[in-house]
Amino acid sequence: MLVFTLFVIVPLGINIAYSTTGGTDLFLPARSYVGGDNFGRLLSCADHLTPATCRDDLFWVAVWNTVRFVLLQVVVLVIVAMATALILNSKIRARGFWRAVFFFPVLLSPVVVGLIWKWIFQRQGLLNYVLFQFGADPVNWLNDRAWAFFASVGVSVWAHVGFYALILLAGLQAIPRDIYEAAELDRTSPARVFRRITLPLLWPNLLVVIVLALIRAVQVFDEVYVLTGGGPGTSTMYLTQYIYETGFASVLRNPGVASAASLLMGGVLVVLTLVQLGLTRWRDRK
Amino acid sequence: MLKGIDLEINEGEFAVFVGPSGCGKSTLLRQISGLDRPSSGRIEIDGRDVTTVGAADRGPAMVFQSYALYPHMTVRDNLAFGLQNNKMPKAEIASRIAEAARMLEIGHLMDRRPAQLSGGQRQRVAIGRAIVRDPTAFLLDEPLSNLDAELRVSMRAELAALHARLKATMIYVTHDQVEAMTLADRIVVLRGGQIEQVATPMELFNRPANRFVAGFIGAPRMNFLSIDEAAALLPASALPAAAEMVGIRPQNLRPAESGMALTVDLAEALGTETVIHGHLASGTKMIVTRAGQLPAHPGELLHFTAEPGKLHVFDAEGVRIDF
Amino acid sequence: MRLIPFLARRRGGKGWHWTDIVTWVWLAAGLVVIFGPALWLLLSSFKTPAQLAEFPLSILPYASQTALVETKGGPKQLPLFTVDLPEGGTAVMAELNRIGIMANMVRPEAPDQVLKVNIDARKPLREMAFATENYTKPLKEFDFGRYLWNSVFVTVAATLITLITNSMAAFALSKYEFRGRNSVMLIIVATLMIPLSVNLVPLYSVVSWLGLLNNLWGVILPTVATPTGVFMLRQYMLTILDELLEAARMDKASEWQIYWRIVLPLTAPALAVLAIFSVVWRWNDFLWPLIVLSRKELFTLQIGLNTFAGKLNVQWQFILAMTVVSIIPVLIVFIFLQRFTTAGIAGTGLK
Repeated sequence: MLVFTLFVIVPLGINIAYSTTGGTDLFLPARSYVGGDNFGRLLSCADHLTPATCRDDLFWVAVWNTVRFVLLQVVVLVIVAMATALILNSKIRARGFWRAVFFFPVLLSPVVVGLIWKWIFQRQGLLNYVLFQFGADPVNWLNDRAWAFFASVGVSVWAHVGFYALILLAGLQAIPRDIYEAAELDRTSPARVFRRITLPLLWPNLLVVIVLALIRAVQVFDEVYVLTGGGPGTSTMYLTQYIYETGFASVLRNPGVASAASLLMGGVLVVLTLVQLGLTRWRDRK
Repeated sequence: MLKGIDLEINEGEFAVFVGPSGCGKSTLLRQISGLDRPSSGRIEIDGRDVTTVGAADRGPAMVFQSYALYPHMTVRDNLAFGLQNNKMPKAEIASRIAEAARMLEIGHLMDRRPAQLSGGQRQRVAIGRAIVRDPTAFLLDEPLSNLDAELRVSMRAELAALHARLKATMIYVTHDQVEAMTLADRIVVLRGGQIEQVATPMELFNRPANRFVAGFIGAPRMNFLSIDEAAALLPASALPAAAEMVGIRPQNLRPAESGMALTVDLAEALGTETVIHGHLASGTKMIVTRAGQLPAHPGELLHFTAEPGKLHVFDAEGVRIDF
Repeated sequence: MRLIPFLARRRGGKGWHWTDIVTWVWLAAGLVVIFGPALWLLLSSFKTPAQLAEFPLSILPYASQTALVETKGGPKQLPLFTVDLPEGGTAVMAELNRIGIMANMVRPEAPDQVLKVNIDARKPLREMAFATENYTKPLKEFDFGRYLWNSVFVTVAATLITLITNSMAAFALSKYEFRGRNSVMLIIVATLMIPLSVNLVPLYSVVSWLGLLNNLWGVILPTVATPTGVFMLRQYMLTILDELLEAARMDKASEWQIYWRIVLPLTAPALAVLAIFSVVWRWNDFLWPLIVLSRKELFTLQIGLNTFAGKLNVQWQFILAMTVVSIIPVLIVFIFLQRFTTAGIAGTGLK
């Protein structure tokens, strides 16, 4: 209980204390009260869609990067996970083996994931070699703003898809077999079986998976940080990296602003989590 | 939950608490064991006030409904666990376990785990765990309810034999009146947290203290009739003035040329006896059982009289009136 | 290739349907995309720096063959090549030196006859070789041995403490009635909602206040309070019959004995799952150790790898090798997990 209070409850209070005080000092009593200044600095913008017009332009760069990342990553992730789950649920041999294959990257550390792919994305790396074999020109994957973004999405999908595929697979296996057998006797086409039987019965699980993926995508950091370091420029710098660098890594560290940013992110996450808890309840009731 | 319980159980007695579910029989047993504490009142064991004494220090041993055997220990460890906690010497533990194993014939099971035992074997181990403690009393909470019907009958006989041999005090909770009747020296009938009657099985059957006990003990259930309906068996003038209701057990009705007229709804021929379900002209349903095979057909009108002295009479509150 | 007919064989033995083709394309692609990179990492980790830098790539690790040749300056180890001879045919020759696109080559057995060869007319003579120094060097000469030890220490200590504290908390929350029990559960559920990335600054200040910055315990302690673990163990303990605990209490067992000898052994399956999770989590942790640890000798393997990869002059051969090393424990867990799930299913038949 002590440990809980120490590392979970107290921090929340301190977080608020930091976010309302200024200066570079980490020692709380030495910090001066500035009220909502930190939030003001983060939120004041002439035009929120153009980060350059904001007082803290990096924050908004990170915000919009994260929004783009979350949208693309979650869509790709859920589609790939769904397809994988459907295929793993069909009548295939050695299902346990295939399940293990897709789950394997989930266990890898983000650093390992980042390094493996950084190596493959090298200028003279495996990917360019494959392109070369097909006669295409090599691409400077991680030094190109657009490619680096897609690479960060692709790598994080690669790393996490197995986890969601497994949750969805469990959901699929909970659908009674005899429903499918009845559909087969009715000569239902596979596409129709999916649309009219699988999807409606899986929908509660799918929703939970989507929200869970959203929650995790918003916090994206480690594998991308190792892969690109946020670059080139700031094109793959996401919110958690902004918080980390503002609070700890940069020379002019500013714990107050980092705290304020993390509270803003925390707010979004709490809303998402409440949605998830609600959905889980709703699913379990059904 | 419990109200005004005043009960004394004698040394070496086999007492059975019986009653419908929710009557408080398990609660009473748990309070005797010390697992639950009464909100008021006193509990004494061997003249010692143990109301505030913890379960482990009271003396009686308990056999749980689910047996509560430790699933990760062998039978031997299950038996030894409590004795080890008492810091008993190893040799003493071994001899007690051997004695209990011999008595219950579970010697060949000592190195198995509960999951590898059948229901009856688990039941024996659970009893063995109580025996090795050499307790002041055995508290058994519906110990046979998880067994199938056939096993229940044989375990019942074994329990009776065990009691005869150990001559230990046993308190046994059940909702099954057959178990109560066959095992008990004395039965305590409970309802709604109160004691309805404490008596020997035969006393309970022959002279139920009230309508509830009369209806609860005996199968099929006792028939209850209003004074008017019972007039065909016994004229109202012969009944005490306070009488409100008359009861007669299905076995105590005898076929006759005239008497109470019963229209047969269904006749169940069981070979050794026949159970007749029927109704009176007033619509009241009645059951009659007769030994042997009795021809009866649905729709047929039969007449019955009561065996002398077998009528039970109750007043407006349902209390028995002797006459 | 016996694999193809095996993979192509279908259950039921009916004809092929388009869904079967989609299935197999998907699975094959999945196998390549998921294991391909890992396999590539493994193969690359055994290559020499020179081979890592060459393009086009070769799949397997090779090393140039050399021969000891008596030159004018004494015996020397020289690289061997297969040379297309001007008069036709080929010969194995050693390279003395190279000027522009021309190389001076000799036959090892006749070191006096120098032949000028265009470098396009020769191919290096190579054999498969594993550059194991990629592994031994960082572990011995750099700090990777130390990082490895730090990682093992953090993982083992954090997992042990997690198991003990979480199981105690779960025991109290599942088997004792006390005032405020529901509010404690509420707090735990609430803390499930707040991820580390939100609490970085305050957690850092708490750890710094405790004087645990640049201390492995500063990495371990905050991770020990895993609400997920308490929640999971509690759900499992709720399935243990209360009668069992009562029986133990009648057997004169102390509360500690009940916890240690009854509840803990019975929670073993859930504890094993939590242990596996905890090992993987702690071994893979990155952001938190990155913040707490700034002294090089305290780095965990993950931080060490990242720092090493962030250097200006990236020595990929060492990074790749150490990455492989850091995967090994996870791989063990992975294999164990596969066995465990099968054993778990078999175990339900026993109960």
